[in-house]
Amino acid sequence: MNRVVKVVIGTLLVGCASIGIFANGSSEEAASGSQTQEQGKIKLVVAAGAVGQELQLAKDGAAEYMKTHPDIEVECLETPDLTTDRLGLYLQYFEAKSSAVDLYQIDVIWPGDIAEHLLDLNQYGGADYAKDHFPAIVKNNTVDGKLVAMPWFTDAGLLYYRTDLLKKYGYDAPPSTWKELDEMAKKVQAGERAAGNQDFWGFVWQGNSYEGLTCDALEWINSNGGGSIVESNGKISIDNDKAAEAIAMAAGWVGTISPEGVLGFGEEDARNMFQAGNALFMRNWPYAYALGNSDDSVIKGKFDVAPLPAGASGHGAAALGGWQLACSKYSKHPKEATDLLFYLTGYEQQKRRAIVGSYNPTIKALYQDKDVLKATPFFGSLYDVFTQAVARPSTVTAPRYAEVSKVFFTEVHDVLSKKVSAEKAVKNISLDIADVIGK
Amino acid sequence: MQMNSHRLQKKEQKLAMILLLPSFVILFLIAFYPLFTVFSTSLTDKKFASSRTVRFVGMDNYQKLLSMKVAELEPLLDASGKQMIDTTTQKPAYQDPIDILPREPYRYKAVSQFDFFGRHYVFAATDPEFIQSIGDTIVFTVLSVLLETILGMVIALVMIKNFPGRGGLRVAMLVPWAIPTAVSSRMWEWMFASTRVGVINVICQWFGWTNGQFPFLTAESTQVWAMIAIDVWKTTPFMALLLMAGLQTIPPGIYEAAKIDGCNAVQRFWKMTMPLVKDTLLVALVFRTLDALRVFDLFQIVFAQKRYSMASFAYYQLIDNKMMGYSSAASVVIFFIILLFIIIYTRISGGVANEK
Repeated sequence: MNRVVKVVIGTLLVGCASIGIFANGSSEEAASGSQTQEQGKIKLVVAAGAVGQELQLAKDGAAEYMKTHPDIEVECLETPDLTTDRLGLYLQYFEAKSSAVDLYQIDVIWPGDIAEHLLDLNQYGGADYAKDHFPAIVKNNTVDGKLVAMPWFTDAGLLYYRTDLLKKYGYDAPPSTWKELDEMAKKVQAGERAAGNQDFWGFVWQGNSYEGLTCDALEWINSNGGGSIVESNGKISIDNDKAAEAIAMAAGWVGTISPEGVLGFGEEDARNMFQAGNALFMRNWPYAYALGNSDDSVIKGKFDVAPLPAGASGHGAAALGGWQLACSKYSKHPKEATDLLFYLTGYEQQKRRAIVGSYNPTIKALYQDKDVLKATPFFGSLYDVFTQAVARPSTVTAPRYAEVSKVFFTEVHDVLSKKVSAEKAVKNISLDIADVIGK
Repeated sequence: MQMNSHRLQKKEQKLAMILLLPSFVILFLIAFYPLFTVFSTSLTDKKFASSRTVRFVGMDNYQKLLSMKVAELEPLLDASGKQMIDTTTQKPAYQDPIDILPREPYRYKAVSQFDFFGRHYVFAATDPEFIQSIGDTIVFTVLSVLLETILGMVIALVMIKNFPGRGGLRVAMLVPWAIPTAVSSRMWEWMFASTRVGVINVICQWFGWTNGQFPFLTAESTQVWAMIAIDVWKTTPFMALLLMAGLQTIPPGIYEAAKIDGCNAVQRFWKMTMPLVKDTLLVALVFRTLDALRVFDLFQIVFAQKRYSMASFAYYQLIDNKMMGYSSAASVVIFFIILLFIIIYTRISGGVANEK
């Protein structure tokens, strides 16, 4: 008896402590970063991504910068791969007002949420640099008139298609509308299955209940003339027939041209299936291009990319993704840090990243650069897709975009899994978003 | 003489208190202080990593977290007064909960609908996700701990016997427990994949249960079961290890005596092994239950925001939504739920002691 009570009390105390520390954040820990100055050198720390070749590219860029700036030492910090984890780490630095990190690589949906911790780059001549970049992204990074981040690379949703299979079934162009996509997918899927590939599907995309679904659904809705969930003037526009029709259309794909399992798919699940030769169409970001053409890919040279199909609006829509570079307000060397920031996001560095890692530049002129086009030909032909990508309503709903998006993708996922009708869902989404942003 | 011993006793007590003081200070710092901070934060609308001024909001966060309501739904009638049939589900149609549930000060959202004495009701909450996370976590805890205990006991009874290769088997048995949860969660996530990439879908298709495309981790009916499967796989070795330690303290001689007296194996297990291993079992149960109630990494890695355990709900509110006050309120509720379990366990163990 005594032993049990002791164990219980001990465990209780440990439990309390861990909950306490957990909910309180570990602000003290985050503050312990160093800002040493060795031999008069200024040390700058960049929190860069480490997905694929990102970290190496950032390190190379920093090394080149240090060659011309002998008085500065740049260190690249490795951060978690998952967007949410990375935000969690950054927030701990911000909560502690830590000067341990000078530059942060931030997601396209964050500027509104974390603007209060970032420097206004316009005070360091940011406007001059910004005019070369895509205006839509610059606008996305401008919060209350302050330019809080420079675009580093961009992303937009694309339609990947199998050129060999379309040809085999008598089509000479990728689909331009969702309806065409549905028809082509049905025909090719039936044909390929009859030919013996039981695992073949027409169309794979991102149907899991996460931020990726927000991007996919925004594309269906926007291409169908259903607006962009919350418009830039703050009006909640999701409760309309065109939006409901678009979501219902996607729900119709599940189990017919897309596997039931698409409801659990993220980017990589879709890519794995497409790259294994088991799908005709795929919606994905540009990164899948280089990997699909790698040497061990069974579809190497057998696929191409096109803009996403159109709905009732008559034109396709691509969701805007991508990463920015921002300077912390708590940096001890704002002048040097912003100089490094403009260098890393500048023409030469973006060019190198485009060629080596096929990261989409945000500088317009690079889409005509011969070396870039040679490495990634579709950058040139799909220029319009990248310039006209539709932004998620992150700036207008800041700082509560995460909740808005969560409400949206959860309800869309319920429609896709046939738990609720699309009409009811858009009504629910509208009410819930109003709840979250207090309108 | 008596006076002297009394004084000595007092002096010793004083010394004991002084010696204990550092422990109390440390206990206060690491346990009570953070707990108190969480509680005080839970009464505010503090945002994480924000310079906005913090307001005192009283019990607002708790109200938003825990408000629940049951409301009756009227049947929908057509022109002739007969109840209409829902065209998509082919079931009798009722009012839409959206139309009758209150929206001020917080919107009530429907969690589930049920029939009771011929009437149709909707159960609604202001934060259905938190209510669901509590339910899921408790179901997860009870079922996984139960399965782990039974399987752990079976394994322990086998492992305690002497047979060739026992050492190697014991080591092999511990492998699942030695793998970090982050790794094993990801591993199982792939095994549960929604296409034939996942081995579980392949196996289920062999038996003809599914068409090889079943989304175990997205279908609501299987989500919690998948979690339980992973946890049982991972933690049964720990349970077996603890129980094995308990079994080893039982002197083998008494079994021989029982055998001579004509006890069969089942009688020996229930009349001798169980009472002797009861204390160990109880400690193991307390450990596992509290651990399971605080489950975080498993849900966070496999489900992200699809479905929450209580702890991953608090995490999501803090990190993604930056609602520090709200997250703290959730943590306090979690604390009380865990406390409730501890009280139940101490009661049970108290009962055991009285029996003796």
